[in-house]
Amino acid sequence: MSTLRTEEMTLNMGPQHPSTHGVLRFVVRADGEVMREAIPDVGYLHRSIEKIAEKVGYHGFMPYTDRVDYVCAMFTNQGWGSACERLGNIEVPKRGEYCRVIAAEFNRLASHLLSIGTMGMDIGAMTPFTHAIREREMINDLIEELCGARLTFNYMRIGGVAWDLPPGWREKSNAYLDHLEPILDEFNNLLSYNKIYVERLANIGIITAKEAIDYNLVGPNLRGCGVKWDIRKDIPYSVYPDFDFDVPVGNGHWGTLGDSMDRYMVRVFEMKESVKILRQALAKIPSGPVLAKVPRNFKPPAGECQIRVESARGDMGWYVVSDGTGYPWRVHVRTGSFAAMGIIQKLSQGLMIADLVTLIASLDVIAPEIDR
Amino acid sequence: MSGVSDYVQNIKETVSTIFEGMAITASHFMRKPYTVQYPDRMAVRVQDTLPFRYRGILEVDLEICTGCLACERLCPIDCITIVADKDPVTKQLLLSQFDIDIAKCMYCGLCSEPCPTGSIHHTTEFEGADYSLESLIRRFVKDPVIAYKPKKGPETDQRIAPILNRGMAYLDQWAIPGSDAEAKAAADKAAAETAAPGEPS
Repeated sequence: MSTLRTEEMTLNMGPQHPSTHGVLRFVVRADGEVMREAIPDVGYLHRSIEKIAEKVGYHGFMPYTDRVDYVCAMFTNQGWGSACERLGNIEVPKRGEYCRVIAAEFNRLASHLLSIGTMGMDIGAMTPFTHAIREREMINDLIEELCGARLTFNYMRIGGVAWDLPPGWREKSNAYLDHLEPILDEFNNLLSYNKIYVERLANIGIITAKEAIDYNLVGPNLRGCGVKWDIRKDIPYSVYPDFDFDVPVGNGHWGTLGDSMDRYMVRVFEMKESVKILRQALAKIPSGPVLAKVPRNFKPPAGECQIRVESARGDMGWYVVSDGTGYPWRVHVRTGSFAAMGIIQKLSQGLMIADLVTLIASLDVIAPEIDR
Repeated sequence: MSGVSDYVQNIKETVSTIFEGMAITASHFMRKPYTVQYPDRMAVRVQDTLPFRYRGILEVDLEICTGCLACERLCPIDCITIVADKDPVTKQLLLSQFDIDIAKCMYCGLCSEPCPTGSIHHTTEFEGADYSLESLIRRFVKDPVIAYKPKKGPETDQRIAPILNRGMAYLDQWAIPGSDAEAKAAADKAAAETAAPGEPS
């Protein structure tokens, strides 16, 4: 009996495909349902944000940093603020740092909720998405009261944060955290432990620890492979040393270590750790000013600095070069999603086309963060 | 035999976890819905329920605008255009143009922070759809007006005083960066309690 003659087919996925989490394009070389490889094509959302920084100055660039990663804009705010403070030798008041951590951890919750919700939707489960988005809306309501916007916050300034916590906000936040914790367990029963869901994710897109380090993965993607590396713990910044929290890592409980399910579960457990940090921060926050005195015409001395913050998508690096004028000479952002895109071509070899969608979702790739 | 028992075990787990999920979904029939019917079936307009710090469409109170151009200088995308010239005869600052292009505006709030009187401020209005880009340019000056001059002491003009009070209240609660709102509220509460000690709070 002669074998069936098969032919390779080149498919174009994106850039307007609804399951690619933004404007992403993949050139898929497939043989039937099985992919030979998927080549990511990035650059559709490039807005020259790094160049804009050279034109608008230090204070004016803060709202633009929101657009670097609009799902977790607090971290980009914090990265830019900290980089400018390091350049200008400005010390942020203690209460300002606490406000930053509280806002950022709330933002991490919102970002992870969106991530795990869309994960379910990419597989075809519509209901968990609405549950996750409902919780995210409540966080957005809290952040809206704090800083006046729901997505592009522009909450932080060079030298601290723009506005103090409004009266009564801490009680509301604590009440929300009390409400969220049982919801997370309910969400796990609804989606995470569902047998069909586990079967779709376990043993798919396996990354070994060595590969993850070689490919420069960061954040939950790296921790999903069993590497315990969190900037908040290992290179502490801001007031994170004040808090007691764990760094969850993947353990291969559902399949193989470093598969899509491990990366997903790391995000779920990280949310519980964020709740822990938030409770401590809301209880411990000292009184005092929230913003240091920074001149309107901020001119840091010539020099360069590199700042690393642990955003929801991992280690985010801000490299700023100052030449002593009111405008930065060069700004570069190093983001986690760009590194995650690099490994897709390797992981996709031999996968089914339907699994490519879950692979992208499990890496939690956000299109504006890839291109800036 | 292990193949058969695995097969049965898998089916059992699948069915039980599906029913667990279905039970959670069904329990939501008993809970209060979180969604609202926007915009026509709401008891209160959304605009009235938004928090004080909400950054909606910008508005300018020309009566208290000092013509200092601080907002125009700080806007990162130059969506504010102000023309303020000295009148050659009366030597007063004359505002002849104050345009905000809300199609360009990114609602960052940097312009309302340096305003000395709270003249330029965010409203809670957000419904701004229109048919052309030109109609999205908000022109606040109809006829050239004389810029406001801050006075020492309280404002005496009956027409301007309430507007200025609104502006200063806005600055107090929102736009002055780094104001310790929580501590202030606590101090106010403590002051109120010491003033009237017998009354229950």
